[in-house]
Amino acid sequence: MSTTFADQDFLSVSRKAVGASTGSDALVTLGWWDLLGELGDPEARAALFALFRAEGLELGNTCALGALTAAPYMHARNDNGTVVASIGRQSMRGGRVDLLVGDTAVDQILFDRPGIGAAIVPASEVTMRPIDISGRLAVHEIEVDAARLLPSIDEATAHVARAKSTFLGRLAIAFEILGAAEAALALAIEHAAGRVQFGQTIGSFQAVRHLLAWATTDCAAVESVAVAARDMYEGAPNRFDQVVKALAGRNGRRASERTLQVLGAIGFTAELDHHHFHSRVLLLDTVLGSSTELTVRLGAWLRDARPDPKIAYAVLLGATQQEDPLTTDVDRRELREQMR
Amino acid sequence: MSLLAPAQAALRDDVPAYTAALDRWLAEGPSALRAAARPIASYERRVDAMSELMAALYDAGWSRFGWPEHLGGHGGSIVHRGAMWYLLARHGVPSMAVFEHFEVLAPTLAALGPPEFVAEALPAFLRGRETWAQGFSEPDAGSDLALLRTRAVEAGDGYRITGRKIWTSWARYATWCLVLARTGSTESRHRGLTAFAVDLRAPGVDVRPIIQANGTDELAEVTFDDVHVPADRVVGDLDGGWTVAMHILSHERGTYAWFRQCFLYRDLVEHVPSSPGVGDRAAGDALLDLAAVSATSSAALRLHAAGATLGPRATITKLLLCNAEQSIQDLVLAGDGDLAAGRQDDEVAVLRQDYLFSRIVTIYGGSQQIQLDTIAKQLLALP
Repeated sequence: MSTTFADQDFLSVSRKAVGASTGSDALVTLGWWDLLGELGDPEARAALFALFRAEGLELGNTCALGALTAAPYMHARNDNGTVVASIGRQSMRGGRVDLLVGDTAVDQILFDRPGIGAAIVPASEVTMRPIDISGRLAVHEIEVDAARLLPSIDEATAHVARAKSTFLGRLAIAFEILGAAEAALALAIEHAAGRVQFGQTIGSFQAVRHLLAWATTDCAAVESVAVAARDMYEGAPNRFDQVVKALAGRNGRRASERTLQVLGAIGFTAELDHHHFHSRVLLLDTVLGSSTELTVRLGAWLRDARPDPKIAYAVLLGATQQEDPLTTDVDRRELREQMR
Repeated sequence: MSLLAPAQAALRDDVPAYTAALDRWLAEGPSALRAAARPIASYERRVDAMSELMAALYDAGWSRFGWPEHLGGHGGSIVHRGAMWYLLARHGVPSMAVFEHFEVLAPTLAALGPPEFVAEALPAFLRGRETWAQGFSEPDAGSDLALLRTRAVEAGDGYRITGRKIWTSWARYATWCLVLARTGSTESRHRGLTAFAVDLRAPGVDVRPIIQANGTDELAEVTFDDVHVPADRVVGDLDGGWTVAMHILSHERGTYAWFRQCFLYRDLVEHVPSSPGVGDRAAGDALLDLAAVSATSSAALRLHAAGATLGPRATITKLLLCNAEQSIQDLVLAGDGDLAAGRQDDEVAVLRQDYLFSRIVTIYGGSQQIQLDTIAKQLLALP
């Protein structure tokens, strides 16, 4: 309901390009690289993020996520070239692990170390270890000689770029999770409409219908917040990127589980693509803050700060609103005391 | 304070400016606002306090934005109304009380009602003088609304209505009721229905309030015994009642979520348990649920402002609202033992009413199971 006809056009063009090509070719076909320089334009953003939804739907494998998350640093440095950002995560078994998500045919890789700054290293100088999981997404754990990580972007500059990069990365992942969940849903709907048991298609049983209706609702929720974040962009309320990413991870997992239940045993085999979509959702949920981690963090924020999250106002008027026009500050506790 | 015409035109065309101006007005703390923001255990007194506030908002012009000028409004769109209720919640009003129904019924009256009648009825509703009830469900027609049996027969200068409606929200407080009655044969199902604006003060009308499990009496059973309705009180077309019902449902399941979620942020933020623990996860989850309602329902408002309706997609917004409301009220219950123990205090009484009410949000406006089936059938094209 929140997407427009233009969104549908961008999505179908992106799906076609991603589905028809390997690696990052689709980014060239779509003129996607040019969009990176036009993030301030709402329509360019719509086209840019449609690519990620298409990646989820078509199990694409471009280097777009790394390129998008590198863009704020490169802008700060006014540099050029195919540079992608690695994404760090904490492993229970190996400490900090740097990941390269997607196509590896890139020139340089950006490593950001919070508190130190960011370094850009030629791709030829890193060791890449492929991760072997379902999802048709190339993922590599990468290692680089510590001496190569001397920051060329200082911490003060990197600090500003980091927040923007994280916002963009979380939003892109939310769209990709959405696409993967929608594709899993499409598989399950097709199955429910065709599979006959007890003399009727299983899609006529309420239990099955309700699972699919809930999965549709899970996806619609992700779509609505992701589209809102994309439209508001820099006007998005505080922590909205965490809300979007957490909701995408949570609902993406829920939708994958509900659709697996509808598919039955065939959904748990390599013969059907469901496991690719599901694995991609699980993988994407763990990078740039998992849904569990972000959800707990958001709850702790509500508890500590008791803030007015301003989400409602921002989504109603945010797309046209640059700054908060509400000049009055309502202190809820004071208000409660007055009421007594 | 009343608005001068140029100021009115500026605010009509600029919702953020309208919002900022109303925010300042509310910050000055008008007495009607202070009275409505206080927790009041008695539902009847709460309705009175809200009616006073609605009258004040009307007199100052604020609530007239979002309604066309020929119906007594100042122009603008439903987004103005969305912003107004957001601000009322922000300034401490705990709920819409009887005026929830205003945002469900008034858009349909404005779009499909007889213009001369609506030009009088809408402002009277908006000022809290003459409120409305919605007469859809019957003892034998709940989820399957097309089975309804209340009958309207043409008689001289109008119609005579006979039948029984139940779960009629706010009928005991209302002056008018939008009644869906059968004008065709029973076999005509949804094709033979017509919507009427019925005066509940007319002879032959009997309203019996139903005391609910949460102690309030929002619901009622209404009997119509040969009640005369003038011909110019038909809403929509003769035999076009289903269209009227669908228009209402687009609001009741879709845009209504916006108005309700405005109040849920405060419930959430105030009731997050104060010590770290599992409550953080639950509160975070509730915030995610609520953000999804804000995003889907604000999109619904913009869609309606552009002249479109939601159709079956309204059910998705309704399901998300139910999830959010229940997860927030779960948090309220978990953090405050006084609710279940029923401590005698106005604030506790209201919280308890709200908690218990949140258990039936999955029943009113179409049960959750019906909503899910609507999605399966109309959006997923399953058999």
